[in-house]
Amino acid sequence: MNISIRQLFGRKPKSSSIAKQRLKLVITQDRFDVDDRVMTRLHHELAEVLAKYFEFSANSVKMDLKQEGNSYILVADFPYTKFHETNMRQ
Amino acid sequence: MGRVIVVTSGKGGVGKTTSTANLGTALALLDKTVAVVDADVGLRNLDIVMGLESRIVYTSMDVIEKQCELSKALVRDRRVDGLMLLAASQKNNKDDIQPEQMKAICDKLRTTHDFVLIDSPAGIERGFSNASAGADEAIVVTTPDVSAIRDADRIIGLLQNARIEPINLVINRFSPQLVGNGSMMDQDDVLDILNIELIGVVPEDSGVINSTNRGIPLVYEDGSPGAQAYMRIARRLTGQRIPIHNFEQKGLLNNIVNWFTRKR
Ligand SMILES: Nc1ncnc2c1ncn2[C@@H]1O[C@H](COP(=O)(O)OP(=O)(O)OP(=O)(O)O)[C@@H](O)[C@H]1O
Ligand SMILES: [Mg+2]
Repeated sequence: MNISIRQLFGRKPKSSSIAKQRLKLVITQDRFDVDDRVMTRLHHELAEVLAKYFEFSANSVKMDLKQEGNSYILVADFPYTKFHETNMRQ
Repeated sequence: MGRVIVVTSGKGGVGKTTSTANLGTALALLDKTVAVVDADVGLRNLDIVMGLESRIVYTSMDVIEKQCELSKALVRDRRVDGLMLLAASQKNNKDDIQPEQMKAICDKLRTTHDFVLIDSPAGIERGFSNASAGADEAIVVTTPDVSAIRDADRIIGLLQNARIEPINLVINRFSPQLVGNGSMMDQDDVLDILNIELIGVVPEDSGVINSTNRGIPLVYEDGSPGAQAYMRIARRLTGQRIPIHNFEQKGLLNNIVNWFTRKR
């Protein structure tokens, strides 16, 4: 309420609420910012597991972190050429 | 067995040493036995803030190098029963001490004291690892500004990884006036961002500067708002349930004043 009345009079938002907003954003980033080395290791480990089931060429693989609103999504693209049928039964 | 609590922050200059000195003294005034340990090797301050600088003979470095017994390196505060200081070496640096060596000292101190408070240096590097190596619990000190809070969040992450808990928050240098006119975040804003337990709010208090100048921790002269805030935190540390003090000034007059003094 208070804020909308102030806005009617053309007042700027309080600097403390701007601070809070900016902090929330940057802290989510800090918390989700994955170290490059960790990403590379994860990449190798994922490829190792997936190689049991799929055939794919290592250089076609893409991994990325995407931000959507307040959360982060790990997106991994493993374009494969073949599925190893035999492994299904194990 | 005593509790080992590291007082830390990430950002420098937010009040770790002030808080360690006052909480250590306050706990001793509450009849607890307390050892305060300066872990800021190379930049020691706890001794001068507490007014014990002229009585330091040995440091934690001497204990580690087996130049003297731990009990001999502890300086007793003569103003209150049960308060001891272990100073940091000023001529060494943070890499001269290993985390395990700090842990060994903490483990010894906890057999003889109810509380062991460790004054951590700023930063997330070696000094922090040394300071937190022997700790079960942490007190994170922050001021209500963007840089300090961001760095506090970083430190909280590291403490959680090290399985140090509980992690309690102290908001220092809080100014009800600045909160009132909209230029400072209030305690709910800070908690909303950091999401840990609040153990106390210490107001901006010129008494802190005067007491530091004299080397007499604020809580010895218990009248000031800062001293009262530290006494309340110490009581909470001993398990007493005391509601968080509300410094914010409410009321029509204040709202009118705030309206005219607000930041644009
Ligand atoms: N509540 C307060 N009100 C007024 N001044 C304060 C308050 N708390 C701390 N200060 C002042 O802020 C300065 C920094 O405090 P202190 O040395 O305790 O911080 P620190 O976190 O230990 O710093 P460092 O990271 O360098 O070790 C000092 O000058 C101190 O007097
Ligand atoms: Mg300090």
